[in-house]
Amino acid sequence: MKLLIFALLFLTNIFDTARELVIKSAVNSLKTSPTNLKEVFSFIMRLMKVPQLWLGLLFSILALILWLLVLTKADLNYAFSLDSMHYIFTAIVAQKFLKEKIGWNRWCGIILITIGIAVVSLS
Amino acid sequence: MATKKLTLTILSFLILQDLLETFTHFCFKKSALVDGSFSLTDPSHIANFLKDALFTPYLWLGFLSVAVIFVIWSTVLSKIDLSVAVPVCSFSYITVPLISMIYLHEKISLVRWIGIALILCGIIFVSASSEEKKENPA
Repeated sequence: MKLLIFALLFLTNIFDTARELVIKSAVNSLKTSPTNLKEVFSFIMRLMKVPQLWLGLLFSILALILWLLVLTKADLNYAFSLDSMHYIFTAIVAQKFLKEKIGWNRWCGIILITIGIAVVSLS
Repeated sequence: MATKKLTLTILSFLILQDLLETFTHFCFKKSALVDGSFSLTDPSHIANFLKDALFTPYLWLGFLSVAVIFVIWSTVLSKIDLSVAVPVCSFSYITVPLISMIYLHEKISLVRWIGIALILCGIIFVSASSEEKKENPA
């Protein structure tokens, strides 16, 4: 049972990372950034027409179903401590697929956060 | 493309988004509690559980919160890197224990304080790395 929950949590992390990747690439594809509420509205409308966004929604739904299943059985603290893995996954995919430049200080920060979350969740 | 610096406005939106995320987790946990006695491996039990969960208001409150988060999140993402936005969102791991300490009078252990300090250092490192970009735009 413990192993099954771990596997489900791992899969949830993968879907979460995939969702963040496709949503960010959908946002990037618009090449603009809203500055007021009116622009935000048209920005969201345009964003809705990007196919990757809906792929992101699909990943969200899959992650949500898995997360709901995990929560019925696992302790919230345990679930959150493993959730911290997803910060590292996200940084890796952002560097690889979005060509974001991640310097040593950003890596340090991400690793500190991951360790910190594991400590907070399990204490 | 706009500047990639993490400004105070973006930071406050990220914190707001983060608080909403905590609220969402709370709602989903509440909706998941409707039936905790089902078998994880039995498909018919899973279907029954999903049907029960669909009828709790908490699930729909959670969905509403997700929609607001989506608007904030995509706006923020159009302004900063994903590898900055995601780590900075770990703020809730600090705010939730602090809120429980102040309002629920929960005791925070030394180990937890160490964890909070690590997260805070991490967020400062990540934020600082976004400022560098502004100084020498590639």
